[in-house]
Amino acid sequence: MRKRAMWILLGSLGLLHLAIIFAGFLAPYDPAAQNREFPYAAPSRLDFVGGNRPHFRPFVCVPELSDEHCVQYPMHFFVHGSEYRILGLLRSNLHLFGVEEPGRVFLLGTDSFGRDEFSRLVYGGQISLAAGLVATFLALLAATVIGILSGYYGGWMDESLMGWAELFLALPWLYFLLVIRALLPLHASPPATFLLLTAVIGVIGWARPARLIRGIVLSARSREYVTAARGFGGSDFYLLRRHVLPQTLGVLLTQAALLVPQYVAAEVTLSFFGLGVSEPMPSWGNMMSVLQQYGVLVSYSWLLAPAIALVVTSVMYWLLADTIRYWIQSQ
Amino acid sequence: MKPAGRLALVVCLFAVTCFAGAPVPATTSPNEDLEQLAAVTGHYGGRLVIGEKAEPKTLNPVTATDAVSREVIGRINADLIEINRASQQTEPALAKSWKVSKDGRTFTLHLRKGIRFSDGHPFDADDVLFSFAVYLDEAIGSPQRDLLIIDGKAPAITKLDQNTVQFVLPRPYAAAERLFDGFAMLPKHVLETPYREGKFDQVWALNTPADQVVGLGPFRVKQYVPGQRLIVERNPYYWKVDHENQRLPYLDELAFLFVGAEDSQVMRFEAGETDVISRMGVENYSLLQRDASRLGVQLADLGPSLEYNFLVFNLNDLSGKKLDGVARKQAWFGNLKFRQAVSMAVDRESLVKLVYGARGTALWGNVGPGNQRWVNTAIPHPQKSLETARQLLKSAGFAWNNSGQLVDASGAPVEFTIISSSSNAQRMKMATLVQDDLSHLGMQVHVVPLEFRAMLDRIFQSFDYDAAIMGLGGGDADPNPEMNVWLSNGSSHLWHLGESQAATQWENEIDRLMQQQMVTLDYQKRKQLYDRVQQMIAENLPFIFLATPDVLVGAKTQVGNFHPAVLDPYTLWNADELYIRGTEKAAIR
Amino acid sequence: MRYLGRRILRALLLMIGVSTLCFLLTQIAPGKFFDELRLNPQISPQTIAGLNSRYGLDQPVVLRYGRWLGAVAHGDFGYSIAYNSPVASLLWARLGNTLILTSAAMLLIWMIALPLGVIAASNRAVDKLLTGATSFLISIPEIVIAIGLLAVVVRGRVLPIGGMHALGFEELSRAESLKDLMFHMIMPTLILVLSGWPVIFRHVRTSVLECLEMPYVQAARGLGIGPVRLLFRHVLPVAANPAISLFGFSLAALLSGSLLVEVITGWPGLGPLILEATLSRDLFVVVGGALLSAVFMIGGNLVADLMLLACDPRIRTEAQG
Repeated sequence: MRKRAMWILLGSLGLLHLAIIFAGFLAPYDPAAQNREFPYAAPSRLDFVGGNRPHFRPFVCVPELSDEHCVQYPMHFFVHGSEYRILGLLRSNLHLFGVEEPGRVFLLGTDSFGRDEFSRLVYGGQISLAAGLVATFLALLAATVIGILSGYYGGWMDESLMGWAELFLALPWLYFLLVIRALLPLHASPPATFLLLTAVIGVIGWARPARLIRGIVLSARSREYVTAARGFGGSDFYLLRRHVLPQTLGVLLTQAALLVPQYVAAEVTLSFFGLGVSEPMPSWGNMMSVLQQYGVLVSYSWLLAPAIALVVTSVMYWLLADTIRYWIQSQ
Repeated sequence: MKPAGRLALVVCLFAVTCFAGAPVPATTSPNEDLEQLAAVTGHYGGRLVIGEKAEPKTLNPVTATDAVSREVIGRINADLIEINRASQQTEPALAKSWKVSKDGRTFTLHLRKGIRFSDGHPFDADDVLFSFAVYLDEAIGSPQRDLLIIDGKAPAITKLDQNTVQFVLPRPYAAAERLFDGFAMLPKHVLETPYREGKFDQVWALNTPADQVVGLGPFRVKQYVPGQRLIVERNPYYWKVDHENQRLPYLDELAFLFVGAEDSQVMRFEAGETDVISRMGVENYSLLQRDASRLGVQLADLGPSLEYNFLVFNLNDLSGKKLDGVARKQAWFGNLKFRQAVSMAVDRESLVKLVYGARGTALWGNVGPGNQRWVNTAIPHPQKSLETARQLLKSAGFAWNNSGQLVDASGAPVEFTIISSSSNAQRMKMATLVQDDLSHLGMQVHVVPLEFRAMLDRIFQSFDYDAAIMGLGGGDADPNPEMNVWLSNGSSHLWHLGESQAATQWENEIDRLMQQQMVTLDYQKRKQLYDRVQQMIAENLPFIFLATPDVLVGAKTQVGNFHPAVLDPYTLWNADELYIRGTEKAAIR
Repeated sequence: MRYLGRRILRALLLMIGVSTLCFLLTQIAPGKFFDELRLNPQISPQTIAGLNSRYGLDQPVVLRYGRWLGAVAHGDFGYSIAYNSPVASLLWARLGNTLILTSAAMLLIWMIALPLGVIAASNRAVDKLLTGATSFLISIPEIVIAIGLLAVVVRGRVLPIGGMHALGFEELSRAESLKDLMFHMIMPTLILVLSGWPVIFRHVRTSVLECLEMPYVQAARGLGIGPVRLLFRHVLPVAANPAISLFGFSLAALLSGSLLVEVITGWPGLGPLILEATLSRDLFVVVGGALLSAVFMIGGNLVADLMLLACDPRIRTEAQG
């Protein structure tokens, strides 16, 4: 039973990531394209009835600017539209769906500039997920190395490493980020700037997981079977690999599952202080930052889409972590 | 504490609180030279709760610089001459009349007689002299000192008699009486000692006991709770009376709550916890408007404010700084046709619609329609035209390459960054809209949000930026406060700071005109001069003006005499006239 | 005892490290306190220069650091430029407010998460339910929880929106003022608890689960030891290890964890003060605040380590060895 659930989960995660990679295909419009006549437009109404006959093809109801009626535009599939690149390499202009000009299909409404929220959502996933994954990887890499060194060897190494950990945790990190941003040249390309900032979050974030791992390693190290193995002549490396590391795996996986969404949330905080991805590039973070405005939050509920996407992604990551842990333990 | 003792304490507290309460206005006597506001009626009682963005930092009128402190200080102090925010004209305040000499240099002010401070001590010319001595003291370094220094010299202030003071300016200065608004009159009997001891800048910090903060304003300090609120109560000796000769203010108390940013303020206002809200954004305004009758609030759109938002290109002299990238781009920025093309490409109409929800006005000059007295209505307002912009660029030597990018005469693609403060959502939006507009001309523009002070550092210190979106103005309707923006050697001459002389012919001309209008006393002549200045600014585009928001305010319907104005402080400038309807039955405790 | 001595030495080094870094970062961070005045065309650069020199802002940072160290040795933590009053009193006034909020939240979080985590590890059905709920909660950024809750409360008009006391607080009786305080606390505490307990819950659950699957537990179960005794005597002491570290973190984060909530709900704690000071470059307030947080953090970590020492005898022997 568990196996089937696991395959479903893996499939869903794979689909999610595929969708994000092929954002250009899924999204009907360029994420920066502004439609200034339609700011804060509600999601387009899809009718399956056109000209008094039901169709399989949905119609998009685009409101006329002057009166209450709307003009119906049929939705077409596999259309040619604005150009985009897949993974920065392949060029294409094929889109999954679209409507004829001057109609517009806004599956999830528009933002304050009239930009299609659905397009921005899928493109934004690219940035946000990349940020979360990169930062988590860096943070856990550093945390594991330091936690193991500290917990296993103890003594002065432990003291000094944990001292550095405390220092990192005690720093007013906002200052740190402000300084980094200020030192970067203005003319660095926005993607480079953002990746650098992400790396910084990851590097700052090693301290807490390192302490956790250290705690595990400390107690694992002093167990009888480890002492026995050492008595048998096992080298440090062997001991670490065979006995200590597996103990830490559980904590590592839990941390990874917790940190990915936390670092995506850290991106929201960065956007809050204007240190995140700059316009017009979308990310779930800077799309969510408008929700801080009370007036926007209560009036335009479709703008909650990135928050929902974040929740869905996070839930899937945890279920994944749980599944992996279960699989490891059944070995 | 034993139960009996505790009970006694509670009873005592209860008794005390029954008798405590707002001070009763002192009965008026014929010795007092009171100002009568004949049009004002109302009744006593009630407390007005105001939400503030942050805590005030100090109650010292001489050293305070931040907006919240100044708002509170303005309610507990009074000036010699005040600017009526509704009419934007000066009115007598502590000085009941004044005479100006023919050459406009000598002001003789007659003070009201019999006026007392909030602690009952009498006010007279000695206090005026003391106050100005403190403001002008270089050792204290008050930011307000600069307002009084004309041509590097301070005015000569003399006391003619106990109720008359004379000011002699080093040279004639237009609308000089407007200067007096904002100079709170300080009590010599309280502040002279710390002043002599050199401890003046520590005076009247927030935790000063309430009875030591003494002023002539409609209210006086009652209580300060750190991080939460500051309460001021009625000044029983306030020198204004209403239509029926009742001493103002009507309100018992003002409570300033430190609520936080605009969103928190709107939430509290909507929940009924605050009574007044000043300057909100259009999304919040629309939200409140939908529910206005259910919430019991009155909202007002007061029309365009006096601020102006603009795009400025870096035209600073970069020799000696290692900023080759920016220096190269200055060849484009310095070309008038380039700037004109940018101005023609910006779609101001949709900018106003998207940033201000149509509650705003597009701008083509530094004075907008909100300043009816000084605006030059003859300045052209060209609509967006990409055709004209392209022609201008072509005639300036630019061209388009095969991928549609704009390139200059040497073939380098036109690419630059616009910085703006990340904490100002409206300006960030404008940056994004301008970026999109300019992309239709083939320009590659990047928008870089910067933390506020980091941005200021680049603009004023390092000059390491290409272009910025900023806002200025809003202080006063009169042109004089803006001198330093338009004078070539002015400290706010943002596009080219640190010049000792004009860099261009037109800047030279503007210098001359501004200096001249400063000393011209006749309004018509000044208007002509300033019109010409506005015209030159609009033609030479040191700033590419974008838009100005409307002033949006609100208050509960129970707040009577609510007459908000376009000048700061928008809702509280007539705090002494405000009253709460429905408190007729509340007895004065 | 030697252990304690070593920790105290490390604590001192940490404080010096934090303060040095704060000063250093200030030097690098662009912008000074009075830069904001430059935007006002009516203030001359000479005045601004005068203000800068009066507050010593134009002196080399090493000099200012040395002077500050000397002052701290006498208990003087410097002046806030914005408030023109001593930093220590500013921080002290806000410290209590933050602690009230975070201690209450921490207590609630642990009281909820600990038993629930243990139960979830033992009971499959409960586990599924709770894991689903926490997955949902954990992925919502704190800021969205905060604003969402606020939106609900404003519409409902049941709870007070922000601040710590109602107006006229002083006139209330003791019981009433306590009730008023608790009313104001509900919202910020709720936000903290909602965003905090899933993390603790998951960690407790994970460690108990791992423990339950260990061979010695299986052996004990095979030996017929009942589930309750199994839990309390065999599983929990071992599973306590990461939980104790986490508890130390909770203690350590008593001062710093509530920044966002305080700013959004208007709770008058340290968070908004230090945030504003950071953004306006009010150096001594930032350093003082960072040091205060560091003290709590060190204290929390020390408590965690001491508890680890006490609970896990294996580490004790190691430490003594």
